[in-house]
Amino acid sequence: MSVLARPGGGAGESFSTSPTARSAWRSSRMIVLLGVIVVLIAVLGVLLGSGGKPARALDPADTSLVGARALAELLRDRGVTVERVDSVQAAAAKSAAGDRLLLVTDTAYLDTDGLAAIPGDRLVVGDFFGIEALAGEVDIEPGARTRSREPECGLPAARAAGSAYMGGLALTGPPGATGCYPAGDGHALVTYRTETGVVTAVGDGSFMTNQRLAEDGNAALALNLIGTGRPVTWLVRPQTPPAADLPGESGRSMYELMPGSIRWAVYMAIVALAVTAFWRGRRLGPVVAERLPVIVRASETVEGRGRLYRARRARERAADALRAGTIDRLTPRLGLGPGAGRHEVVAALAARTGQESQSVDAALYGPPPADDGGLVALAGHLDFMERQISEL
Amino acid sequence: MALTGRAGLVAAIGIVVVLVAPRPGAALAGVCLLLAAGIVVDLVFAGPVRPLRFHRSGDTLVRLGQRATVELVVENPSGRRVRGLLRDAWQPSAGAHPRVAELNVPAGERRRITLTLTPTRRGDRTSTAVTVRSVGPLGLAARQGNHRAPWTVRVLPPFLSRKHLPSRLARLRELDGRHPALVRGQGTEFDSLREYVVGDDVRSIDWRATARRNDVVVRTWRPERDRRVLIVLDTGRTSAGRVGAAPIQLAGAEANGGGLLVRPDPRPAPGWPRLDWSMDAALLLAALAARAGDQVDFLAYDRAVRAWVGGASRTELLSSMVNAMAPIEAELIEADAQGMVAAVLSRAKRRCLVVLLTDLNPAAMDEGLMPVLPQLSARHLVLVAGVSDPSVAAMAGRRATAEEVYDAAAAEQAQLGRRRITARLRRHGVEVVDAPPEDIAPALADAYLALKAAGRL
Repeated sequence: MSVLARPGGGAGESFSTSPTARSAWRSSRMIVLLGVIVVLIAVLGVLLGSGGKPARALDPADTSLVGARALAELLRDRGVTVERVDSVQAAAAKSAAGDRLLLVTDTAYLDTDGLAAIPGDRLVVGDFFGIEALAGEVDIEPGARTRSREPECGLPAARAAGSAYMGGLALTGPPGATGCYPAGDGHALVTYRTETGVVTAVGDGSFMTNQRLAEDGNAALALNLIGTGRPVTWLVRPQTPPAADLPGESGRSMYELMPGSIRWAVYMAIVALAVTAFWRGRRLGPVVAERLPVIVRASETVEGRGRLYRARRARERAADALRAGTIDRLTPRLGLGPGAGRHEVVAALAARTGQESQSVDAALYGPPPADDGGLVALAGHLDFMERQISEL
Repeated sequence: MALTGRAGLVAAIGIVVVLVAPRPGAALAGVCLLLAAGIVVDLVFAGPVRPLRFHRSGDTLVRLGQRATVELVVENPSGRRVRGLLRDAWQPSAGAHPRVAELNVPAGERRRITLTLTPTRRGDRTSTAVTVRSVGPLGLAARQGNHRAPWTVRVLPPFLSRKHLPSRLARLRELDGRHPALVRGQGTEFDSLREYVVGDDVRSIDWRATARRNDVVVRTWRPERDRRVLIVLDTGRTSAGRVGAAPIQLAGAEANGGGLLVRPDPRPAPGWPRLDWSMDAALLLAALAARAGDQVDFLAYDRAVRAWVGGASRTELLSSMVNAMAPIEAELIEADAQGMVAAVLSRAKRRCLVVLLTDLNPAAMDEGLMPVLPQLSARHLVLVAGVSDPSVAAMAGRRATAEEVYDAAAAEQAQLGRRRITARLRRHGVEVVDAPPEDIAPALADAYLALKAAGRL
């Protein structure tokens, strides 16, 4: 009997395939254990770590690599009063009290118009927008590489310090300005005098950081520029952007204008979204996979060959195929054997169709057509002859 | 576990509650606690899924293109009502409907769910899992679990060509002599003597017997019987090519309709694989030959024996064959003609008619069958049947533009190769049937009847 006559059906007892709580725990306990270990390590790392304060660049209170605590300490050792402020109002109040040097390293979140109105000497370090606002006469060309550069100028502060880690922006001062540390088309340091005081702009503040202060003449340059004996107002970026400093009608942020329940409603919306996601995401049973047979048209090889003929404009091969097909179909109808030669076929066909034997010969055995038009005409001619024979 | 849309709705209403509440923080906590409590209550009091039992009954065999019904009885032995959804996960090409059914089984009772399967592919279709989602009394959350309740439905080839069977059987009866028109000629066997009735061919009068008796006696003839027919189905790569227009749409064919990112294919939907057309022809031939009193065997081969039906009795031949054919798919490997011939020779000890259903592909034939064909044709009568591609014939006829003429040239080339291989096979003494898909089954049956009438079996 048949080998493969396996009956269908397959009745039998049904059984549950869902994992029980115990089997789920058994299969996932390693993953849970690993997850717990990872979380523990992360928590320990955070607890034992540096306290997690983000680094603040060029902040006199920051001890990280990009901070400037070392420079601030050096200045204080030399008896210079360094006062750290983080708002324009505080800086204005300080400078109202007496002749001070205003050191600006970052003007993001600060009202630069208010800052520009503060009189006295100012030193703007490494801040594109700050230099633009506070040293308006200076042309700025970004893109100079920061590296150790020679002063090559007459400014005593720079000449005494020697080479320093400068660059960042290529600055070009107004007429009469002094430029030091050539960088690109301009200088990395430009100083000039205005009605309100001396303005010094430096393209990059890296030389003041804790990391670079000990290199080259960086410390000397910083001390020469800042430590002129006057108290220093060191303006840093505020911890959080003060709403009052932001430009606005009454200085109130969008969040302050919203009713307090919105925030809670957003939390509730997140909960609702999670619930909805779980509702929609939970599949009713497994995905069933099935191995489907390939779908390949049998005519694809023929179509591919046709496209190759077309792409290469293979008129000779195409004409040969068409002629061979016609001759193959016509020879039995003409009463000729399969091995009939050229002359027999042409003579028989000319006699039956009444066409000139030369034109029949040219159609069946002539040279390949010279262009596509000729090929179409040849196909038409062959078709015509076949129709004539079949109508006889 | 699973949540329901109601849980999402409660959470969404909670947003409004939190917005208007005088103490939004407390309201948020309240809504979340309420929702969590509801979910816990639902999970605790939902009908348990794990103890459910399933019993199946229904069809195990169905012809492609017809519907099967499978019944699933859900038994709830627990003490709580199970209310919710049930999904019987069949393979996609089983065409199970409904995909998800409502379920409500009171405690200790059982309920019947009826599924209709409309398979779109031959072979064995199985249900891989039964999933039940049992919703709790509040309708916020549900318990969910899978069960395995195996059931297989075998989808048989449709045997569409059986519509040609009555006309071919009538022709067979003509040969058989049971029809008024008696047929005489070489190749028919002497059957018996009977009295002459008006209308009989006078040439069949047996004068010697007439002389012995007082009446005119004629000889009756019947076609040869108890010959052997071996149908060999080539399941190699050439049988995978799809030709013609599918009488029954197969699984995957709708994929060419394109989608959001896939450009729809401008060509008509691909038809049936050559394999399915060949099966159809093989079934008609088997039915006809079994009625004609011949012994029919069936072999499917590519590089190994895929199916073998041998020595089946006349009554169970067709059911054995469709059962053996059902799971066969075209393999994407080159068929091993040498192995096929060896398999045929080892199975067919006596001379028989070997019907080889394959593709008349010149390249594949030259490499495979042609060198080993003499071994086969020396001992057996060989008939090669190939399904031609009507779209190639249509391509050869379209010659309006230069592009079409290039395509027509390629089609001519293919057809020429086919005619040449046919001629070469005929020179080897092999019968060849080359017909488009819709005509292959009747053409093969006619070729068989012609061989039988000519007594060449």
